Amino acid sequence: MANAKGQGFEGDLLVVLRHGPHGTSWLREGLDAALVAAAFGRRVTLLFMGEGVTALVPGQKSGPLGQKGTSPTLEMLEMYDIDTLLVEAEALAWLGLRAEELMLSATAVEATELSMLASTHSLVLTF
Amino acid sequence: MLLHILNRSPATSEVFRQALAAMGPDDRLLLIEDGVQGAVGALFGRFSGLEGRLYAQEEDLVARGLAPLCAPSVVRVDVEGFVTLTEEAQKTVSWF
Amino acid sequence: MMRYAILLMGAPYSSQAAHSALRFARAVAARGHRLEGVFFYHDGVHNAARLAAPPQDEPHLVDGWAALAADHGVPLQVCIAAALRRGLLDEREAARHGKQGHSVEPPFELTGLGQLVDLGLRCDRLVTFGP
Repeated sequence: MANAKGQGFEGDLLVVLRHGPHGTSWLREGLDAALVAAAFGRRVTLLFMGEGVTALVPGQKSGPLGQKGTSPTLEMLEMYDIDTLLVEAEALAWLGLRAEELMLSATAVEATELSMLASTHSLVLTF
Repeated sequence: MLLHILNRSPATSEVFRQALAAMGPDDRLLLIEDGVQGAVGALFGRFSGLEGRLYAQEEDLVARGLAPLCAPSVVRVDVEGFVTLTEEAQKTVSWF
Repeated sequence: MMRYAILLMGAPYSSQAAHSALRFARAVAARGHRLEGVFFYHDGVHNAARLAAPPQDEPHLVDGWAALAADHGVPLQVCIAAALRRGLLDEREAARHGKQGHSVEPPFELTGLGQLVDLGLRCDRLVTFGP
């Protein structure tokens, strides 16, 4: 399934996560799709875009009613061999954070690289 | 060439910026549902630079009474044209 | 002839997503393509609600999907995890969870998310309709 365009990041599935934890189920359901694809042996890239970058802020807790949040799921990504985590550089700047401060190791990408990412993956799912 | 599909109005949602950021130089953008508001008046300005690559779903323009206001450079396509656009693109990416 | 899949993530009557997806599905079939499946995820699972009772002068989306399945043999696959959370259970799941009555019936089928990945990678095109 790999295509050899040599653009650095490629794979079967690009999952674009554009929402933060707790507020909606988009992030959780997007991550679930990524985990299932990885469990089926697919190569998955996660792109945290816009508000989605807040998923990687350290120190998250469960919600006041016991809502689970998504940080425990994120901590499992490595176990599923999902190790390509990208964050939109501009969104990171909005939060005043640097990539090194995030809870997981992630690579900042510029907006101009986003179009490349969509074409170097077989399937793109936006959440 | 990818087809990006946007269903949000640029008057109320910033999602169009994500679509634009993710678009390559040959990619096309199809406005559907409330997204067709982006084909009208000053909102059309959000998509400047996409001439010839900007499409709007005809039925959604008509249902909203916006067809007469649609900017002339926007290519209007019916649902069959929508399918054709997906045929011509390598893949589609939806922004909502 | 190309192989298509549709991913629908909007609830019926809350957003236009389901209307757009159903019309697109019909147009894909009319163009002679093979629609290999419609996958319902996120709030899109509500499209499978067997008890939906819209006013008679509005399009009946649940019946619309069933008609699409009948006319073109399109599988209607509903993410089981997203469905159970939202109270959408077929007979088997209702029995398993000790619930009276069920809210999902064929041609809708509850299935795993793996089906979405499989559909998306197997088909030539996947088109997502979000709310």
